[in-house]
Parts: sequence; C-alpha cells; structure tokens
Amino acid sequence: MRFDNTKCECGHQNAIGTVLCEACGKPQHEEPALDEVLEMRYDGVARKSQKANPSIIDRIWNFFSSVKVAVYLIVITLIGSMFGTIYPQESQFINIDASLYYKQSYGTMGHIYYLLGLSHTYESWWFITLLVMIGASLVICSLDRVLPLYRALHKQKVRKHGQFITRQRIVYQGDIQDSPNTWLDGMSKSLKKRGYKIVRDEDALLAEKNRFSRWGPYINHIGLIIFLLAVLARSIPGWHMEYYDAFPQGQPKEIPGTPFYLQNDHFTVEYYGEEDMPEQFVKEGRVIAKLFETKATLYRCVDKCDELAAEPVLEEVMKHDIRVNEPLEYEGLMVYQFDFDLTPRLVAVKPVLENPQTGEVYGQFELKINRTETHYEVGPYTLELTHKFMDFGLDENGKPTTKSQDPNAPAFIFMIKGPGLPNEGEPYMYFPLQKDKVKFQQDVINGEIANKFDLHVQSMNDVTLSESTSYLNVRKDTAMPFIWIGAAISMIGLIMGFYWQHRRIWLRLDGQQLALGAHTNKNWYGLRNEVARALQAVDIEVDAKSIDRGGSKA
Amino acid sequence: MTSLELSQDAYVVAFFLFCISFILFVYAMPGKKMKTHDRARHERRWGRISFTVTAIGFGSQLVYFISRWIGAGHIPVSNMYEFMSFLAMMIIGAFVVMYLIYRSAVLGAFAVPLAVIIMAYASVFPSEVQPLIPQLDSVWLKIHVTLAALGYAFFAVAFVAALLYLLRTVRWDSGSDRRSQRWLEFTMGCIIVVIGFIAVVFSFRAADYEVIVNQKVETVENGQINSKIESVTYTMPPLIAPYNSEESSLEAVPSFIGMKLPLMEAPGWMKGVQAGRKLNTVIWSLLAGLVLYAAIRLILRKPIAKAISPLVQGLDPDLVDEISYRSIAIGFPVFTLGALVFAMIWAQIAWSRFWGWDPKEVWALITWLYYSAYLHLRLSRSWHGAKSSWLAVIGLLIVMFTLVGVNLVISGLHSYSGV
Repeated sequence: MRFDNTKCECGHQNAIGTVLCEACGKPQHEEPALDEVLEMRYDGVARKSQKANPSIIDRIWNFFSSVKVAVYLIVITLIGSMFGTIYPQESQFINIDASLYYKQSYGTMGHIYYLLGLSHTYESWWFITLLVMIGASLVICSLDRVLPLYRALHKQKVRKHGQFITRQRIVYQGDIQDSPNTWLDGMSKSLKKRGYKIVRDEDALLAEKNRFSRWGPYINHIGLIIFLLAVLARSIPGWHMEYYDAFPQGQPKEIPGTPFYLQNDHFTVEYYGEEDMPEQFVKEGRVIAKLFETKATLYRCVDKCDELAAEPVLEEVMKHDIRVNEPLEYEGLMVYQFDFDLTPRLVAVKPVLENPQTGEVYGQFELKINRTETHYEVGPYTLELTHKFMDFGLDENGKPTTKSQDPNAPAFIFMIKGPGLPNEGEPYMYFPLQKDKVKFQQDVINGEIANKFDLHVQSMNDVTLSESTSYLNVRKDTAMPFIWIGAAISMIGLIMGFYWQHRRIWLRLDGQQLALGAHTNKNWYGLRNEVARALQAVDIEVDAKSIDRGGSKA
Repeated sequence: MTSLELSQDAYVVAFFLFCISFILFVYAMPGKKMKTHDRARHERRWGRISFTVTAIGFGSQLVYFISRWIGAGHIPVSNMYEFMSFLAMMIIGAFVVMYLIYRSAVLGAFAVPLAVIIMAYASVFPSEVQPLIPQLDSVWLKIHVTLAALGYAFFAVAFVAALLYLLRTVRWDSGSDRRSQRWLEFTMGCIIVVIGFIAVVFSFRAADYEVIVNQKVETVENGQINSKIESVTYTMPPLIAPYNSEESSLEAVPSFIGMKLPLMEAPGWMKGVQAGRKLNTVIWSLLAGLVLYAAIRLILRKPIAKAISPLVQGLDPDLVDEISYRSIAIGFPVFTLGALVFAMIWAQIAWSRFWGWDPKEVWALITWLYYSAYLHLRLSRSWHGAKSSWLAVIGLLIVMFTLVGVNLVISGLHSYSGV
C-alpha cells in the first residue's frame, strides 16, 4: 500500500487512488502544496483499475481500462486495415481461385500478398481479434470511468476547499463591494440567465449546466458495443443468408430455405440518349445506363412445396419494381437488382410427335424446360423422360453432360413406348432449339428411330420464351435492426458529448473576499467568455483571457 | 443565359472573390510594428472586411451549386469535379462557422487559400455535366456525400489551424528544434507540390498538349493469355511511357524542349492501363513543385515556414490550438453520421450489404479511427499544442488520400466518381 491515510482533513474517507477529496476537493498526497492547475479528470475520484495489489483479473481489467492501450489498439487496427486495401480482397469476387488469381494479376508481390493472408485481411484471425479487443476495451474503459464519474457528480459538495477553487484552470479572485448575500443573489441571477443550475450553501455557490453531456462518450461506447455484437451475431446460423440467382422472365423461382417464390414479370434496361450525354462521351461511344428495373412478384408457397413433380400452389404476397436503389423487402427478406442478361431463354415448347415417313401427327404435348414432367401421353404413345440436360455438352471422355443449370442448350432423352416398339421402349433424344439440333446432330444420335419418329415444333406460337433474365441478390440479415440501433445510440452519444459541454463554476466568499473557479470538460474558450460576462453583469470587469491560467487544454 | 452558364460564371466569380479575400486576410494580420491598441483595431476592421468578401464568395458558390443542380437535374456531387468544388464550398462553410465562433482573421488567411487550391484542383477534372447512373440515383447521394464532405471540411479547417499553431510556435533561432523545423518546411513543400501539379496541368492544357501512346496489355483469363492494345492519352509530355508500350506509337511522340521522349518505361509491376500515365503526372508535379519551391526559396532566401513565422507572431497559440481541436470536435460527429452511418444505410439499400470492405469504405473507417485516436489522446492523455497539431496536419494527409488517393491509386466500387 502506497498511502495508508486516505482520510481528508475535511473528515471524508476516500478510496485508495483518490486524487482530489471526493467531498471538498482538496488535493490529496501533495507535499508541499503546488500551484499547478489541478488534474480534474473524473473529478480525481479513484477508479477500479487503480487498486493496490492487483490480482490476475485485476491485471486484465487494468490492461483494457487503459486509454493508452485503447489508442494502441485503434492505431494497430488502422494500420492493419490499410494493408487490406493494397490489392482487391477475395470477397470482392464471386468466383475466383485466389491461389492463382493474385499471382496472375499482380505477379510476385500479389502472390506474397496472398500467402501473407492479406487477400482476406478483414476475415483473418488477427483482425477479428483486434476488433474483439477493441470491444473489450470499450466495455472496460467505460465501466472503469463511468461509475466513479457518476459517484463524483451525483453527490457534489457545494463548499469546496480553497485550494480546489484557486487551482482550477479558470480562476478569479478579488474583493466584492456589496454584502455577501446581495452579491450572491446578483451572481445567481446572472448565472441562471446563462442556463446554470444553482445550489447555494451559505456563502458558497455551485453553478452547473449540461451535466448530461458527460454521459455522451459512454453512450457512444454502448452504441459501438451493440454494433460490434450485432456484427458478430451475423455468424449465428440462420441469421445471415445471401445468394445470387438468375430469374428468367415469366416463371416463379424458389428462394431456397424460405417458403417464398419470386417471379420476374418483366425486366427493363434503359440507356441515356446522346442528347443527355456530354460530347466527349458520345465521341468515345460510351453507353450509360439510366435504369435497371425488374418488375417482380413475390409468392408464398402454401401447398405441394416439396413435391418435385407437382406444381406448387402459390399465393401472391406482393408486387414490387426492383431497381438498383429500391430493393424488394418483405419480412426481413431483401431482393436486390444485381445484373441482367438480355439473351432470350426457352421456357417451354409444344412439340408434335410425327411420323416423318407418312407425315401422320400422333399428338402434341407441352414440354416445360424447368419443371419437366416425367411422363407424357402422346396419341397411342407414351414418352418417359430418362435424362435431362439444361446446357448440353460433352465432357473430356465424350460423355454427355450439362455445363450449367441455365437452359442454354436444353436436351431431353425420352423412352418412347407404344405400338410397334419393344416393351422396354426405344430411346429418343430431343433438342428443342434448332441450332442445338444441328450442332449436336440429333438425327445421327437417334439413328434408326429417327425414321419412325420426329419431335418438332410447328410454329413459333408453340414456343414460350423469356425475353431476358434478371440476376438478383437475395438476402436475409436478422441482425440488421441491432446494427442500426447501435449506430443510432452511438450517434446520440457523439452529439451529446461534442455539441454540449459540462460546465461548473464554484464560488466561495470568505468575508468580502471572493474566490471563483470554473471547470469544463471541453471548450475552455466558451467557458472563460461566459464567466467573464457573468462577472461583468455584477460589475466586475475582467478580461476573459486573464482569468484563464492555461493548463489542460482538452 | 442557361442555368449551367450561370453556374460556370458564379464559379469563376467565387474563385476570384476568394483570391481577393485571401489578400485582404493577409493584410488584416496585425504587423509587429503596430502599437498594441492599433493592432486589435486593425485586425477587427480588416478582418470584418475580408470576412464579408469571403461570405459573398460563399454566396457565389451557392449560386454555382444551385444553378448547376437545376441545370443538370441532379445534385452536383456525382463526379470528381463536382465533389471537389463542393468540398471547397464546405471548407469555406466550416471556416465561416469557426470564424463566427472565434473571430480569427489569421485563420482566414490560411483557410481561404486552401479552398482556392481545391477549387483549382477541381477544375483539373472534366467539368461537363454527366448523366446520373442508376447506382447514384438515390436520396442518399444528397445526404451521404454532402454530410461526409462537411465532415472532411472541418478536418481541413483543423489542419489549417494546426499548421498556424506550428508556424507560430516552431522557433527558428539557433539551437532550437531542428526536427520540427524540417518537418514543417516539408509540409510547406508538399503544399507547393500540389500547387505545382495544378500549374502543370493548366499550362499544358493551355498549350493543348495531347499525345497518344499505345500499350500492349496482357490479361489472363481461364489460363489463356489475351493480349490487346490500349491507347493512353497523355496531356503532359510523357517522360514515362506505359509498361510494354508499342514502339511505333513511341516514335510518334514529339520531342519536348529538345529532349527525346519518353525517357523510360514504367516498371513492370505497374500493370494498370493508366499506371504509367499517373506515374508521369506524379513526376511532373514533383518537378514543377521543386522548381516552384526553389524559386520561392531564391526570392525569400530562407525556408518558407521561417519566412511566414514573423507574420503570425501576433497570434495567440492557445487560441489556434483550441480552434484546431474544436474544429475536429465539431466535424467528428458530422463525419461519423455522413461518411459512415449514412454510407452504411445507402450501401445496405444499393449494394445489399451495409459494409463490404470496399477500399473507400475502409479508408473512411481509417480516417474515423485516426480522428478517434486524436480525440482520445487529447481528451484523456492531454496531448495538446505541438503534438496534437502534428496529428491534425497528418490527418489531412489521410483525408486527402481517402478522397482523392483511393480513386486514383486503388479502384473499387466508388470508382464511378470518375477521374
């Protein structure tokens, strides 16, 4: 123990680590008494981190309660963040092989960048650790200070020790002409007019205003903690969902993991005309988009949702025109305009089954590209679907495969059964698009059977196309409200703390002798002018600058 | 006269008014030889006159802004020219606020020229009205960009006050702090380089200088190497050609004052199409800055900071220190709201995520962390005077990198602000 006697001469028992007596404000442990401006931080009250004999937990507490440590953490985070902006982060790309991308795009430097893990700086363990440490520092720094500060401001003694008053930064000492009571009345009135709350104790006076602004930093910190927690909460399963998908015009598409279906009713893209653009742009042949819009309908599936073959029963929930700055929003589900493709896509065809020799038409059926049925009755024949390829192609071994799930080159293999055919049926391959039929040589693949059957579309009326495809970004972020609440609280704290200042003026009359001391946490310039003007109102002419002793200039 | 023509005229009027008010503010600074009593009166009288001229200039900027808004049909903060002009307007706005609080004429003598430099810098970029792309078509463009610019403007005024503090307090008599002297002179040199850059751009623009150099660009896509020719337009003589330039296009470059150009190619790691051109611009700016600096030194026969020092000795250092801090304290919540909170709200609406670690976002965060470190050091660790002034000076460097550097050096989602 460094100090054994923690009792002030006024009789108040202070905690260890107290700088200024909690009651009368007399500086403790100063021998001999100095004349410097007092350190008024947290009114000189002891903080938890100033315990003698700290335990391990105390030591951790002390570490995080230090503003110096907080500043170090801020500066390290700041420098760490800079590294992440040297090259694009992996997260900026939807689909790349990072181990190759950085080497190919940025050479050796890029490869080193990737090997150091800087290509995902903000997801790296050390960066997350820094954020968590800043969070810990926010909590502990605040708790360590707000409680003593609250204690100090909650029970203030009006009559302060002479040393406490005369060692403030703003001090005025002089004699008064009137009787003490009349003078104090006049001064009270003058201070009240400036918005101060006055408490008097015989010949002493305490004037105070905007104490609430002292809580600003702590409210700001609470907001930041809520914000950081909300960011961490996004990793809770189910709280965060995000994916991109293509929505061809005219058919509802399921949003996985939700009961919703979304249909792109119509997609529009508009461009600026030459008259709207500067000459330079026209000369360069630039094209600038004016509008991307997807007219969308959101459905909720109410029945047959999980049955593969059956059509789900959908109920319309809402309609919305999705534009770049106007996402669709429904029960926390957000759908954003992301990209588009104006290539027409096949939705359905109504081919006829014909005998190419005789020209006899056996019948017609509707073949949907997406939810294809497995069984069709066409005249006397049945067609059973055995294989479906959305984007037909051949792999390295020459085997048929589908290159993507987009209907770029749809192909179907049916088993045709019926009169004049073996019991197990005969396979028949069908490419609905004429270009694929030629490219992949449908007739050659089918061989013999091509002489018996031909599936083809008679006119364009039997073809359903989607004019365009809209790429949308679907998201669900349950933590969002907490993010905004955190940000709002933080802003309120900042505004409270920076646009108002806590000001206190202590007065003490010993006979005709006046001692005035004033303190604020910010904006000393404003306080010294205010004190000078309040004194002028009671006929004490002072120059604002002359009562300011300098010192802590925060 | 169309509103766009009016807008351009108002811009020029504002520019000249600020040049005049700068001279007036310098005249308002009290000389050492005057008697104390006269000094205060002189400063008050001429401070008021200069401030009035500045206020009229601010009004003229507002006319520019509003008439361009009407003429273009959208708020003029959507490209680099418009944003920089707006930033200059906000710097004057922030200065007006600080002047009304502290009545410091000397602040004007430094804040107004800063706005003038930024207005001139804005004119480096193409000033045509461009149509608004769908991404920018939102009310948040108005709220986010304007408020963020106001926040940055307060940081800029804080820089001005901090620089004043340093000019006032760094001693030049023998045996005093050499390190502060050197860094202060370096800071002045950096400002001269920026002026040099603007001078070079406008000199070659006046001479209609334009040379096109072709560059072979190789990109790797799915393991295949695609090579194509990109043409790079130089508006200054190409001392540095792009990496992998085409021989024939290099031979067509005219020589400049007897020098065969280009002198060299950009190094291989500078791969971007415009990287060589940007490096060339940087070198020209440095050269022009150095020449300008040397000329000033020749005239003054002493360091610039040392030459300014006696002019500001009448200043109360505590007051400028306070102004610098106060400007950051006022700007910080504005910046947080405009550049971070509203930015997050807009990002959530437009890009579907409130935060995506886009370089511009990261640098706004860096700026915010930097100034929060400044505030913690000042409020809790009593860093004031010289220490905190240096922090405020470095702060402007970070601000400028966030605003300009990110767009020039790193591209990202914000790159549609166009350079």
